This record gives sequence, C-alpha cells and structure tokens, in this order.
Amino acid sequence: MTEMKDMLGRPATAMEAELLDVHARLLHLAQRTDLPPCVASGSEAALALTWQMANDLGFAVDGSAR
Amino acid sequence: MNPSPFWNPKVESLTRPELDALQVAKLRRAVRHAVERSPFHRRKLEAAGVTGECIRSLADLRRIPFTTREEWMSCQASTPLFGDLLAHPREKAIRYHLTSGTSGKNPLRVLDSRRDWQWIAECWAVGFWGFGVRPADTVFFAFSYGSFIGFWGAHYACEKIGALTLASGNMPTDMRVRQILEMGVTTVCATPTYALRLAQSAAEQGLDIKGSAVNKVIVSGEPAGSIPETKRLIEEAWGAKVADTAGMTELGTICMFECSHQPGGMHIIEDHFLEEVLDPETGMPVAYGERGERVVTSFGREMIPVLRYRTRDLVERVPAARCGCGRVYDIYAGGILGRVDDMLLIRGTNVYPRAIESIVRSHPEIDEFQIVVAKANDIDEITLRVELKPGTADGWPALEKQLHFDLKEAHEMLRFNVERAADGSLPRFELKARRVVDQRKKS
Repeated sequence: MTEMKDMLGRPATAMEAELLDVHARLLHLAQRTDLPPCVASGSEAALALTWQMANDLGFAVDGSAR
Repeated sequence: MNPSPFWNPKVESLTRPELDALQVAKLRRAVRHAVERSPFHRRKLEAAGVTGECIRSLADLRRIPFTTREEWMSCQASTPLFGDLLAHPREKAIRYHLTSGTSGKNPLRVLDSRRDWQWIAECWAVGFWGFGVRPADTVFFAFSYGSFIGFWGAHYACEKIGALTLASGNMPTDMRVRQILEMGVTTVCATPTYALRLAQSAAEQGLDIKGSAVNKVIVSGEPAGSIPETKRLIEEAWGAKVADTAGMTELGTICMFECSHQPGGMHIIEDHFLEEVLDPETGMPVAYGERGERVVTSFGREMIPVLRYRTRDLVERVPAARCGCGRVYDIYAGGILGRVDDMLLIRGTNVYPRAIESIVRSHPEIDEFQIVVAKANDIDEITLRVELKPGTADGWPALEKQLHFDLKEAHEMLRFNVERAADGSLPRFELKARRVVDQRKKS
C-alpha cells in the first residue's frame, strides 16, 4: 500500500489521496505481463507523470513498474 | 484560468524549516537510490561510509564526497560510452544528449529515462509558470533541437503547461522573425545573444518587433541573461520583459529561474535540487552574500544520479526574502556570475568576461564583440574587438576613447587595446556564445 503521509509526515489531503490511488492502480496495471504494447508503454508513460505529480507534492512513491 | 502564481503552491509556499525537512527526506532517498543502483556512486559512498540511513540532517550532506566533471569524463573513458554511472540499464532510457563542450573538454554523454524526461520538463515548468507563461501563451523556441539539451525540456514544459509551442528547428533567422510576427507569439526563448540577433534581423527586414505581441523573452545558456546592461538591451529591443534561467546538461534541466517579480537574480528550485555555495579552494561553505562555487545535488535524476557535483559556476546566494513573490526558494543574486575557470589573468590583473560584456552592452551602438588575448614580446595583451551597428560609425572615435577609459577604470588601470572590426566579420552565435579567444593557449 502507498504511504498516505507526505515526506513531512502530513496526512494526504483528499486530492492527494486520489492521486496516490491512481498512481498505485497504474503501477499495478503496468506490472502485468500480458499487456499489449500500446497499453504497456502507455501505462509506463502515465506512471512517469503520476510519479512526477506525487513527487512534486512530497510523496515518496515508486516511479516505474520495471 | 488557474489563478495560482506558483506552479506548485504546496511546496513553493513552505516555510524554511519545512523545506529543509523535505530536502533531508529527499536527500536520504537520493543517496539510497545511488547506493543501490549506480556502481560509480556505490563505490564512492561505500568508501566514505555513507548510506541513505546516515542522512538525518542537512549537515550530513557534507559526508557525501564531491563529484567532478573530470571523474565523470574519466569514468566514461574507461567504460565507454556511459561509464558505470548509470542507475538503470540503457534500455530504460528514452533520450540521449551531450554537453555543449563549452569548456573545450570532451563532451559528457547523458541518458534520460521517461521519469527523467518528466522531471526535466517539470523543473522548466516551475520557472516558466513563475515568470508568467500560461496556457493562452504562444511560445517560440529559437533553438535547433540537436543533441545539445538546450531548450528541449522547456519545449516539453510549455506543452505541459498547455501553451501553443512552436519549434523553429533549423529555420534561418529572418524566417524565425517572420513566424514570430505571423503567429502572434507572446513568449520567445533564446540565448541572450541570439535574442539580440533576432531583434537585429527584424530591424534589417523593416519589421516592428517592439510593437509585436511578444511580452516575454526567456533566455538561457549564457550568464548574459543576468547582466543588467545586456538584459536592458534585449528588453528595449523587444519591448518585453526578460527572464533568465540557468541549468546544466549534466542535470538536463534548469536549477534556477527568474520569477515575474524580477528580483535581480534567480530563485533556486530547492525541492528538486540541494544547492551549496562553497569556497572553491577549501570546499568550505560561504555565508549568504559571499561569492563561491555552486555545488549541486539532484533529487529528480533517475538514470544518472548527481550528488554534490562541482559545477565551477560562481554565485552569491541571498535569502528568499530579497524577492517579494513569497516563494520559499532562495536566490542567486545576479544569476551565474562567471566560472571558477573563466577568469583571465592579464599582467597580474583578474579579468572576467562578464565584466567586459557589462561595459560593452552599456553602449548600444555596439553590435557584436570579441575578446582576444595574446602574447606580444612575452607580455600578455588583451584586445576588445567591436563591430558597430549600421549608421553609427561617425561616433567611433568618441566610443573608442570611452571604452578605453571604462575598461581601464574597471580593471585596476589595466590597459586594453580597442579595435573596430569590419562589419559582419565577428562570429554570430545561436547557442552559447564563445567570445573569448585566448591565443596564449595555442602557444
């Protein structure tokens, strides 16, 4: 599960929790081994974006499925 | 339209102690990543006895060994092409670029992952938004898009912001000017030198660029963007505000930017970089307002971690309160003030190219210039060669006299030779200008 506190120890706001949830679901999707190329590369690209947003807001999350 | 003046209000509005705490947490992660993934950094950090867990305060930063360009080059030479710096296999990369080789050394080779590329654009977006670029803007990049990183990240930042983004690639200068006018461009991005060249081309074509829609010129790549005299010339030529930005290819992005308040310096993007200012000789920190060498640690670089990198850039750091914008980010007053290694020693006097440019740009009739250093009878001679704008030749005798005086007065009465160069004879630059020709090195 994603840690729901930022690196300053503050709890995630509703908006931040939603973002972290999207990121976690994308990470889960991207880890599947049965993805067609269009979904595999698209989900990796999307993960880089959600990683960036989470990182901007001070959350420590994994950035890539591979 | 989003009314926030800050790209990332949560972080840009932190208090200083909160930002410090965030930096400690990010530094711990950066060190952990470097130890786990990059053989180059693992070797160095293990030798120094440093792990991520050792990082408990900002003071622990000083336990991390410096990284130098020489080490990076030597690592790439011993294990071509990328050395053992990479934190991930080459297959994870989506971009490749090279340093510009300004210092005359072998270029460094850099790979970026998807995440790096997002982060690179993100840092530019912080700066562009901070200077006022918004989705309604039309942004023109006077940039050739080669393997030199230059404005690549800024291009993607503008797409990210949602602005209409124009890439001019290998378009000639006159055509670029016409497209700027035709497309109602509001923001032009170029080196300071090339921003002046574009304005000159507009004048040659009889086009009114000052009356155009351009209201922002964002410059990068040369210290001149923070030299007040050069900046004023660009602002007058374009009828627009000018903002400076600075970064480095090793990082792939900018580390600092000038906000719309134009505080006479650039804010450091401190949630993405940890910047130190150190005495270049002793490696000890200098106080606010004292000149020293920038040493940078990146929190965002994935493929090639960058820890305590000696940039050789000279800066003077001042507190964030110097600017009225309200950001927590500290400021480098006057931008990049020069390089540790660009000082010329002429007959015992220190001469900085930036100081000469500052004098030259206070004379708007000068179109282009070059600094030539040579030996004559074993004595160092420095010559300023200047090219005049059309229609200003009558003023040359007075200008020559004034330049002699200004240069001498600014350099402990050192004598400069001043020469007028033939029209069109001096080189023009689109990327980083190289105006110093040191012929002593050849001999």
